[in-house]
Amino acid sequence: VTSRSAKRAAVLAERIELPPSKKRTMEHAVRLEWLTIAFLVTAVVAMYLALGSSQAMKAAWIEDLLSFLPPIAFLVTNRIRSKEPTHDHPYGFHRSVTVGYMVAATALLVMGTYLVAESALGLVAAEHIPIGLVTVFGQTFWAGWLMIAALAYTLVPPVLLGRAKLKPARDLHDKVLFADADMNKADWQTAAAGIVGVLGIGIGLWWLDAVAAIVIGGSIAYDGWKNLRTALGDLMDSRASVFDDRTTVHPAVCGVRDAVLAQRGVEAAQVRVREEGHVFHAEVFVVPSGEPFTVRDLDRLREVVRDVDWKLHHVAVVPVGELPIGNLPLP
Amino acid sequence: MSARTVRLLAATVLAVGAGAGCAAIPADPEGTLERATGGILRVGMSEHSPWTELENGERAGVEVDLVEQFAEDIDAEIEWQDGGEEFLIGELEAGALDVVIGGLTEKSPWVDQAALTRPYVVVTSPSGSPEPHVMASRMGENALLVALERFLEDRETEVAELVDGEEP
Repeated sequence: VTSRSAKRAAVLAERIELPPSKKRTMEHAVRLEWLTIAFLVTAVVAMYLALGSSQAMKAAWIEDLLSFLPPIAFLVTNRIRSKEPTHDHPYGFHRSVTVGYMVAATALLVMGTYLVAESALGLVAAEHIPIGLVTVFGQTFWAGWLMIAALAYTLVPPVLLGRAKLKPARDLHDKVLFADADMNKADWQTAAAGIVGVLGIGIGLWWLDAVAAIVIGGSIAYDGWKNLRTALGDLMDSRASVFDDRTTVHPAVCGVRDAVLAQRGVEAAQVRVREEGHVFHAEVFVVPSGEPFTVRDLDRLREVVRDVDWKLHHVAVVPVGELPIGNLPLP
Repeated sequence: MSARTVRLLAATVLAVGAGAGCAAIPADPEGTLERATGGILRVGMSEHSPWTELENGERAGVEVDLVEQFAEDIDAEIEWQDGGEEFLIGELEAGALDVVIGGLTEKSPWVDQAALTRPYVVVTSPSGSPEPHVMASRMGENALLVALERFLEDRETEVAELVDGEEP
């Protein structure tokens, strides 16, 4: 009994866990995401305390609030994604990653659009933003300086965090992590635009604040739109793509076909690969050549396919008499 | 947002800042403080004892005194305008007035139409809740707002004693 359950455990581990080398990268990524959340808490509190009526500052603050979503999506789905398949969820929970990704992207798109609309209305209505005095530690000065200081605090750390996350995102082929890193890297521009807006109010250019807020809102909405397209594509089982560009086919797709065709006993083969969060799901249809083709051959092919890339988790090899089958695209 | 856009915006700010000789920050988009200094300060007043009182053409009250002192500080003559709060705030929004007084509090519903100063005194309302008093100035005229706020801050102790309130 012990050996059977141990074997079962080994099978499960092989089926749902990352390879050991990736595991360490994943732990590193998790630490980076916690670090990001810790920084964002300080940034959001600092900005909230300095928050005045500047539209640009508000936009930058909301951007920082939304920046919580990708790390949270990453950390939450990291706990769910490798759960064992159940009767209700026979394919497992890998796709929770894509769902988290989609939720984060939708939030970005909605908030970004809202900010653009609100600031544009303010601009049209020629709303002049008042910023008066503030007293901090007994010192009284123009509140704009406090706002600029808070924005300046959020200028540098996100860039460093974003850069640090790029490598694990590449190693893990993780789209959520990559989107997060990408947003962090661009975050200094949001802070800079916020500073421009507040300075604009300072020198009497009331409209510069609204324009800066529109620019920030536009960048948030664009991030959301870009990521939503990728997330929806994944949910629609689009062809597996590389993590940083949805139009580039993942090399595993051709790799699987080539590896199968190189095996003896295979006359023709067709492959479809889709993404389920971090891992890929491949269906391989093979037309056996004249030689005897057994269940053992099928197992061998399955191993060959799995060896192509660590991401190939669910692999089904199906022997067929003829290609193409059913809904497959023409080869 | 591209880095180019940001650089462009930053360059605009720097260019305009340099062009303006980097005059005092914050500046008024409409130059109200500059115009009023040594000129005319247009003040709207709605009656609200003991803050603003009007009897037989004589003005009195805590806020009347404060505004008159402020005008003296910037060497301005006051051009008074009387009316109800709503009318005066409308004039303020339209740019026909610079400052409006009338016992306004921080909870004023006019926050979207007027730039309220920081509270300069807190009194207890008849219902027993704290009532922070403010003045209203024209939206976005931040040099004027800051000047008025600085002036009021210097008189907090004085005013608190006068109306039996507390410094904010």
